[in-house]
Amino acid sequence: MTMRKLTGLALAGALASLPLAAAEPFSHKDAFEHYEGTRTCLACHEDEARAFHGSQHYQWKGSAPQLVGAGSKPLGKINTINDFCTGPAANWIGLVKNSRGDVVSKGCSKCHAGLGELPQAEPSQAQLENIDCLICHAKGYQRDLFEKPGGGFEWKPILWKNQEGLDSVSKRVGPPQRAMCLRCHSASGGGPNFKRGDIEYKLADTDRSYDVHMGKDGADFQCTSCHAGDKHRVRGRGADLAGTDSPANPLSCSTTECHGSAPHGEPMIDRHTARVACTTCHIKTFARDEATDMVRDWSKPKYDAEADRYAATITMQKDVIPVYAWWNGKTHAQLPGEAVKTQANGTVGMMVPDGSRQDPEARIFAFKLHKGRLPVLTDKKWIVPILVEHFFADGDIFSATRKAAEETYGIADAKFEWTDTERYMGIFHGVQPREQALQCLDCHGAKGRLDWKALGYGADPLLIRVTAKK
Amino acid sequence: MHRTTQLTLAAALLASFAFAPTAFAGEPNGQDLYKTYCKSCHAAGSAHGEYTPMTLIQDQWERFYKEKYAAKHATAQMPDGRKVLEAITPEMLAKIRKFSVDHAADSEQPMTCGK
Repeated sequence: MTMRKLTGLALAGALASLPLAAAEPFSHKDAFEHYEGTRTCLACHEDEARAFHGSQHYQWKGSAPQLVGAGSKPLGKINTINDFCTGPAANWIGLVKNSRGDVVSKGCSKCHAGLGELPQAEPSQAQLENIDCLICHAKGYQRDLFEKPGGGFEWKPILWKNQEGLDSVSKRVGPPQRAMCLRCHSASGGGPNFKRGDIEYKLADTDRSYDVHMGKDGADFQCTSCHAGDKHRVRGRGADLAGTDSPANPLSCSTTECHGSAPHGEPMIDRHTARVACTTCHIKTFARDEATDMVRDWSKPKYDAEADRYAATITMQKDVIPVYAWWNGKTHAQLPGEAVKTQANGTVGMMVPDGSRQDPEARIFAFKLHKGRLPVLTDKKWIVPILVEHFFADGDIFSATRKAAEETYGIADAKFEWTDTERYMGIFHGVQPREQALQCLDCHGAKGRLDWKALGYGADPLLIRVTAKK
Repeated sequence: MHRTTQLTLAAALLASFAFAPTAFAGEPNGQDLYKTYCKSCHAAGSAHGEYTPMTLIQDQWERFYKEKYAAKHATAQMPDGRKVLEAITPEMLAKIRKFSVDHAADSEQPMTCGK
């Protein structure tokens, strides 16, 4: 376990005053003398900061035209509820310690590109200075949570007492590298690959057999090779993000900017692309390197004696075969403050892809199907988040839920019950080359992985076609 | 033996036990060695300054071991009285150095050496 204990990093003068080694080719080595926080960046990059302030990465919400019936209200993780740690707004920042005095949680802002303040709509000077440019742009930059002199908490560089070291790191500015993005996008949900399943730390340094796009002997793409947009507006939203930065500039491998609709040079295979997404065949399984969270049951607190910490009961799984469903790019979401809508199987669909076989815009995509169990208000049937930070320390799920109901909805002494949930999460990373892709019989054989009836077919369409020809 | 001498010897013996290097299950790694030989003088609140791997960046650690370590520890003693430069063998120093650099503040996994 990494021990990022940062109590009093007292530097002796001899070490701190060592001269820097021969200058490395850092892009900003001559841009400034000393890094003094974000204002050093703002001196030249205020326009970029203002653009970033309005982005999904800072606001954690945005335009959500792909959510069916969601209206025009900006939505995102900051104002919706999820089936992992439930709600970041209620668990933003703070040091939560266990009975041994060890820090067991620091809040969801650990993965916010800010220095601890909640994002506000207005790009005030304080908000601009709250942006942590280095967390995405400076290789080698690391930060941790510290108590502020006047109370409260803030994220600061771990080198804050080592100006020479901080100056060196803060000048290593460039476009985000894979490892920088993965620090949050792989670590979210409680641990390595817990949440997404297909965004593993392995992507930082891998080969084409694991990911043909990011493998160093493949295309060696950075995340930004596909996801970069203009003015800090990232492309792509997967299938289960509420808001998006670039609704008019969606990301797809099927467009002509990448592979087009007939990339195989083989008509029999190319005919699939109209109805089958590339990733469906080219990602056979996910969580191939590290297990991912497949079921999170908050109704059953579990005590980890080694860590002296409580958690939900989490079922992890490795090398998981995806589930397959039609998706036209739009998603049905269960939003807070709305009575839960129960699916045919009795669960509440937190994020469910829209589309069907009859929908010409829909194709069959691969998904991680995450199952959860979340609290719901007994009378209003609204999903309730959980104050997980306190729960981690004391295991009192009843109190953590009731306090969250009061903070989120203003309802004191809330009565709640538990409901099963499902979330479909698109699988898009870990794309394998053609020689490792699914073969015909993986789907069309007697033991094929597709549930043809669930997809709206009477039976395997190849079987139907062959039978009709006889 | 004179009682004062006996007490002095007993105290010295206790001190040496108090600093007895951890009985490592196998070959000690860099973290084990750092904790045993460095933290004893460079823990939080120490007059010698607190140093963990994440106190410095990799460049600073490399320069420290190359240019400063020997000079800074020329007269330094371990809590049991041994000279630092003798107690820490070149092999041990190589492991400590690697641990410091691998877990420096600008590494992908900054670390302290643990409790």
